[in-house]
Amino acid sequence: MEQLQWHIITSENAAEVFAKLEADGIDPVLWGLTDKDFELLAKNFAQIRNKLMETNALLDKYKEYYESETEKDEQK
Amino acid sequence: MGIRLFFIGLIVTALAGGGFYVMKLQKDNAILKANAIKLESAISDQKTLIENQKKDFESILTANKEMNDLIGKLKTDFADLDKRFNKKNRDVGLLAIQKTKAIERITNSASVKANRCIEIASGSPLTEKEINATKKSEINTECPSIANPNYIPY
Repeated sequence: MEQLQWHIITSENAAEVFAKLEADGIDPVLWGLTDKDFELLAKNFAQIRNKLMETNALLDKYKEYYESETEKDEQK
Repeated sequence: MGIRLFFIGLIVTALAGGGFYVMKLQKDNAILKANAIKLESAISDQKTLIENQKKDFESILTANKEMNDLIGKLKTDFADLDKRFNKKNRDVGLLAIQKTKAIERITNSASVKANRCIEIASGSPLTEKEINATKKSEINTECPSIANPNYIPY
């Protein structure tokens, strides 16, 4: 997966953050989240990951079950 | 003469009847034997079927248990994430104002780890380092239950 960079902006460091972006040749624009929304984003991400893990595990179990059945049938 | 012939006829008829009766008994016996073989075969088939059903049931129970264990571990990971944000009335926003650089570093590090968790959940194989991690400092704190199978929380 691609890595992304988080910037934390407070009322005190905002000017410094934008100046650094400009100095690095990056457009001085940021998409923002409050601390509460950041928490929700982290939790949403974790829920998606858990669902993915569950679905993959379930798929593996079905595969294990049906492929072993096929092997048995082939042996017969 | 007539009486003699009558008795001879009677004896011949009795012998022929006896012969036919024995033949019929043999035929019935053969049918019964064939039926018994069929029944034994059916019983054997049923036994095999029951055995297979038992095995199926056991493997389904095992699979269910493993799935429930996994879901339990994933719930623990999720609860840990919640704790990280809200443990002892922690205010991440306030912490970020007070220690901006440190929280930014922690956030970026957690983001890398969370990305790796998605990769693992999507089927990416674990690295040796992830498999062998047993210490808190070595684990992927975002999803230790799936990233570090040998880590026992302490």
